[in-house]
Amino acid sequence: MRQLSPLVTRGVLYVFLVSATVIMSFPLFWMISSSLKTLEEANSPGIVWVPQQPTVQAYGEIFRDTDFLRSYFNSTFYTLLALMGTLVSVAAVAYAFSRVEWPGRNVVFFLMLSTMLIPPQALIVPQYVFFNALDWIGTFNPIIIPGYFAGGAAMVFLLRQAMSQIPKEMDESAYMDGASHLQIWWHVILPLVKGPLATVATFLFIANWNNLLGPLIYLQTVDLYTLPIFVANLYNINNAVQPWPTIMTAAVLTTVPLMIVFFFAQRFILESVVTSGLKG
Amino acid sequence: MFNNPYLEVAVVALGTVVFIILVSLGLGNATRLIVRARGASLSYQNNTFAGYLFASPWIVGFLVFVVVPMAFSLYWSFTDYRVTANEAPQFIGLDNYTRLLFNDASFRASIVNTVFLTVIGLPVQMGVALLLAVLLNQKTHGERLFRMAFYLPVILGFNTAVLLCWRLMLNTGTGVINQIIRALSEAFPPFGFLNRGVIFVVELVNAFFLGLGSGKFNLLARVIEAGFPVDNRVPLWVQSPLWTKMSVVLLMAWGCGAMMLIFLSGLNNIPKELHEAAQVDGASGWKRFWSISFPLLTPFIFYNLVIGLINSLQIFEPIFVLYRDNQPLVPSTISMVYYLWQSSFSHFEIGYGSAISWLIFVMTLIITALQFRMQDRWVTYELY
Repeated sequence: MRQLSPLVTRGVLYVFLVSATVIMSFPLFWMISSSLKTLEEANSPGIVWVPQQPTVQAYGEIFRDTDFLRSYFNSTFYTLLALMGTLVSVAAVAYAFSRVEWPGRNVVFFLMLSTMLIPPQALIVPQYVFFNALDWIGTFNPIIIPGYFAGGAAMVFLLRQAMSQIPKEMDESAYMDGASHLQIWWHVILPLVKGPLATVATFLFIANWNNLLGPLIYLQTVDLYTLPIFVANLYNINNAVQPWPTIMTAAVLTTVPLMIVFFFAQRFILESVVTSGLKG
Repeated sequence: MFNNPYLEVAVVALGTVVFIILVSLGLGNATRLIVRARGASLSYQNNTFAGYLFASPWIVGFLVFVVVPMAFSLYWSFTDYRVTANEAPQFIGLDNYTRLLFNDASFRASIVNTVFLTVIGLPVQMGVALLLAVLLNQKTHGERLFRMAFYLPVILGFNTAVLLCWRLMLNTGTGVINQIIRALSEAFPPFGFLNRGVIFVVELVNAFFLGLGSGKFNLLARVIEAGFPVDNRVPLWVQSPLWTKMSVVLLMAWGCGAMMLIFLSGLNNIPKELHEAAQVDGASGWKRFWSISFPLLTPFIFYNLVIGLINSLQIFEPIFVLYRDNQPLVPSTISMVYYLWQSSFSHFEIGYGSAISWLIFVMTLIITALQFRMQDRWVTYELY
């Protein structure tokens, strides 16, 4: 390596980085490109990098498909409703674990950390029976309500780490002024952890938007289907020709909210993953 | 209850919020009374109240959605219980477990597939993650953009929309990946030779693992008999049982961004002085990586290994999207969670499903415990 001039090694490095970037983002490019193709181009035996005459026919079709529109609405509704409750409860629990000294805190915190070892899917069978007893199968309840109980130990942990770094004087002086814990939580602590809150909100958005197993088990009726189920059902092995432009159009429209959220939140996410060592 | 599903869940959500607030107040007040009875100071009483008030959403959720379900499923795992049959669970002792461990070919296949993903897929994924992290750590222009591009697959990764795009790209005949492989093989004969070599190795390894699952190694014999792949061979990603798991490995490598970030933070933690001192002593870049960076990265490798193993036990979406409608392929790729879903929710055998759940849980615990046991042997927390 020492014989090579720094300029050459630098050049090689950039070639590697750029090609890795191209490979990593290729599926996204292919998705958009295929959504603009005609059916013949999408199924053609040769490589069609970019459609000869881009057509938005598939977009027109999918926007007239009421099943698609409804599942888009369902996904948005479910994701936002689950996100709100989960975010508030996670922020409350993180406050208890970081800013308040109470008997039993360490035991409860240890319990919470140990739940990270339980694969969430190992709980679906008994939870199904529980929700069945409540007559909640075929409703949105089972995929939304559990989050309201501070679902997601990793999210609590991430916020708790951020809240622990705030100097003790901040809430002590507020406490001296006669503020209650509720006021300190809302007016002092939460404004100081906006970045981590944005990270948690983004992770929750992504997790709910991409969730397949929960909706698959609990929703049961077509009227309630969310996007992941709707899109997965577009591909059918019995189709003589797969309607790839339509499928990829639905895929692009499903991905757009994820891209927007990631674009605005990537600064916070990339930082907090590195500092807290958590996986998204 | 309501005719409108959106209204119904909104009302239930509101009710849940009220319920949580009431329970929180109750728990906070109850614990305050207890510490007051013990004669604690006023501020201690207030802190106890606030602590339980704020923590009770999790405490209640833990009891309702984790402890109680796990206790019930432990009991059901020893019973014959079908939720549709409207009958009480019949106690059958260890029957579910013996059937799972000794008489269930699909479960055995799911374990072998998980082992494959762990032994082959995880090292590939971690290798790609480490390579990308080392490249990014060279402090280049546009580092932020590269980092975003490498992390993006983690966000998109398991959405069925993106997985369907992979299915389009992985199509054996017309898929773009195989088209590129064909074009490159024709343009550069050495690449074609490399491609055939890789195909041969992949098929040998996969045939071996399929043999482990079924107990019959005739497929392996056939692959050996067929010999080195012919000129125009391409990978049969979503078509042959020899390749189904490789598609999942490919997806794992593509989604390595989270691991990459962990490695990147590890590389950032390495003191610059160590590298500078070694450079003065004349150590090459390669040597410096293996004797300085790598040992100091082992805690991060360990972390990724623990998380990666837990994740590989839980793979569901790729198998659902790529193979669900192609039943003959499912045994070659089925994961434990996919099998849990299939057996629990197609026949609603709650007793059997509970036994699978508990086995998954216990295996996760054992594997994680073993890893923590083994870490003394290879994880370096200090270099000096």
